[in-house]
Amino acid sequence: MDMTLNAFTLSILTGLQLGSIYVLIALGLTLIFGTLGVVNFAHGALYLIAIYLAVSINNALGFGLALILVPPILFIIGVLLERGLIQRFYDRPHTDQILVTFGLAIVIQELLKWAFGANNIPFSIPSWGNGIIFMHDYLPFLEGFVVYPKWRMILVVVAIVTVSAVFALLHLTRFGLVIRAGMRDAEMLQFLGVNINRRFMVVFGLGAMIAGIAGVFGGPVTQVSPEVGMQLLVPSFLIVVIGGMGSLGGAVLASILIGMAQSFTAPYIYINTIIIYLITVIILLVRPRGLLGAKGVFE
Amino acid sequence: MTDVKSENTNHKAGWSRRDVLKATSAGAAAGVTPMFFTQNAWAEEALGNYPVKGSEVVLGFNVPQTGAYADEGADELRAYKLAVKHLNNGGGMLDTLKPSKLTGNGILGKKVTYVTGDTQTNADASRTSARRMIERDKVIMVTGGSSSGIAIAQQYLCNELGIIFMCGLTHSNDTTGKDKQRYGFRHFFNAHMTGKALSPVLSKEYGKDRRAFHLTADYSWGHTQQESMQEFTEKEGWSTAGNIMTPLKTTDFSQYLSQVLNSDADVLILNHYGANMVNSLTNAVNFGMRDMQKNGKNLEIVVPLYSRLMAKGAGSANIDGVLGTSGWNWALQDEGSKVFVKTFTDEYGFPPSQAAHTCYVQTLLYANACEMAGTFYPPEVIKALEDFKFTGAGNGETLYRGSDHQCIKNILVMQGKSPAARTSEFDYLQIVDEVDAKTVDYDPAIFGGELGPYVPA
Repeated sequence: MDMTLNAFTLSILTGLQLGSIYVLIALGLTLIFGTLGVVNFAHGALYLIAIYLAVSINNALGFGLALILVPPILFIIGVLLERGLIQRFYDRPHTDQILVTFGLAIVIQELLKWAFGANNIPFSIPSWGNGIIFMHDYLPFLEGFVVYPKWRMILVVVAIVTVSAVFALLHLTRFGLVIRAGMRDAEMLQFLGVNINRRFMVVFGLGAMIAGIAGVFGGPVTQVSPEVGMQLLVPSFLIVVIGGMGSLGGAVLASILIGMAQSFTAPYIYINTIIIYLITVIILLVRPRGLLGAKGVFE
Repeated sequence: MTDVKSENTNHKAGWSRRDVLKATSAGAAAGVTPMFFTQNAWAEEALGNYPVKGSEVVLGFNVPQTGAYADEGADELRAYKLAVKHLNNGGGMLDTLKPSKLTGNGILGKKVTYVTGDTQTNADASRTSARRMIERDKVIMVTGGSSSGIAIAQQYLCNELGIIFMCGLTHSNDTTGKDKQRYGFRHFFNAHMTGKALSPVLSKEYGKDRRAFHLTADYSWGHTQQESMQEFTEKEGWSTAGNIMTPLKTTDFSQYLSQVLNSDADVLILNHYGANMVNSLTNAVNFGMRDMQKNGKNLEIVVPLYSRLMAKGAGSANIDGVLGTSGWNWALQDEGSKVFVKTFTDEYGFPPSQAAHTCYVQTLLYANACEMAGTFYPPEVIKALEDFKFTGAGNGETLYRGSDHQCIKNILVMQGKSPAARTSEFDYLQIVDEVDAKTVDYDPAIFGGELGPYVPA
């Protein structure tokens, strides 16, 4: 293998930042799936709303306000969506859930296209995040000149912070305890007198809010056009499946795995386009429950 | 009933011997006259949707109304509607196109109407839509599209069904190369012509000792664009460091750009169009590639096929100074371009794109060919279009080459304007050079392919 250390480092960094976008979308997806049992095909559209909101606020009022406003707005949209539509489908078959959320995704996509046009909207990166990092200044083992965009490194940091925050919420708080219990056995929790529905509403809002964070930081990377939501949805779903349905740790692991695989196969188009499916098939053959799927969950 | 019959019988009986002889000799004279003395002689058999019945003729405008090229499709549709308006009422390029038999009274005296379809930038959807227009709406001609894959798919279908297809925006060498069809015509230029026009400008601007890395959209157009750019830049003395095919739906190109960063290339050629190019260029700028040095030279980015809509999507700060080619630009000052820009702007409030221009011209050229042939019969219209030379349509003297149905015309080398240099919200690109038709001309045999018969089997 003639890959140099520099090339290897660049591929690792690219794999990490690809994985970061995936994890920010897959996290919300697996959270909603794990707790509510809803296959939310509209999650990509939530990301789409987030990037359009973010780019509009960013271009008019600046990035700071986009960062402050977009995640809470997405939380509210998520709550309204759950109360207005999704909760009516909790007891319906998965096929109904897929149809209604997929339909919703198309409606949102076409509405945004109608409002903003089909072309890309330039998302300017704030000045403090613009430019490149000279990686050879930080990594002495690199030879010569190795650079990487600063914004993409910020994205990796944002993903790490978001994942840590969600883990802390689920593992260190009482709210998290109830949610985790609900993921294992919602019915039993209701017998114990816990109002799980209200918490589910919050979880849906939380998932949407993570999509909001992804939109603010991911918009300049994935670009702002109406197709982006659907394009990210499929890999994100596969990541949820590979990681293990409803497993947050699995989603993180699978995101990094898929990001790395895409990065390292980039020069080979025919493998690059199928690698994500290839990995899915192999993992599901070897571990049908996914990487970190727990026994008894969604089986 | 009996009375009527007897009247008819009486009328027939009214023919005198002299009348019969006169009629016979006239018929005999007509019969022995060789067909080539008769202007516009054609066999009157039904073909495709010929003959056109009624007082109206229907054209089919099949453009992407959804999907990645929807904005371009919307602009194409505006141009088609304007062309129909001018065909029926006069005005626009009807006043500048020469030679022209267009009168502003429809086509061959029939009022022009149209139906529209959505190609969705998807070959199957475009074929379904074209077939619906042909079979249900009885269109005499189909035109449109904003992708070579789609153009080629429709061209094959139309050829089978005996319907002329006037390509919209398609830039692959294959459209009038290996996939050319007797019933398909392309006014837009192609990747080969881009390579030929752009490479000398590139070597003049950036020097002859350059090393290029290509990122290429993985479909018909991207492949031929990359081949042509590689061929002509290498003729200028450049070398090629690598080429990566990127899936058409890619939005984040970081994985491919990492490979470019890691190579020793000092020029990045983005063989991407539409949203693809917007994304790859924006990503490349984020990777610092516009401010980077490689091999002691500034790293340069080249976008072989440019459009105003793409430039707008990428943002003028990102395209500032980037070179590429276009088929046409609204800033051109010839009479044809000026009248088209004026009528389009009066109608819609903003200037047309190059996609709008090519679609508008294609519609007029088809209509004019019908007028010249004196019929809608497709083989005759095709013959009228083949080797038709014209001016006044915005690209100087133009030839619709008969051997491959490719228009040979002037093309433009364009450069992105800096945000400070822009004078309006539509002003993104400046014309660096208008490369004349003779310079970009080529031997059609290099791409192979067969046009096939005038009457489809």
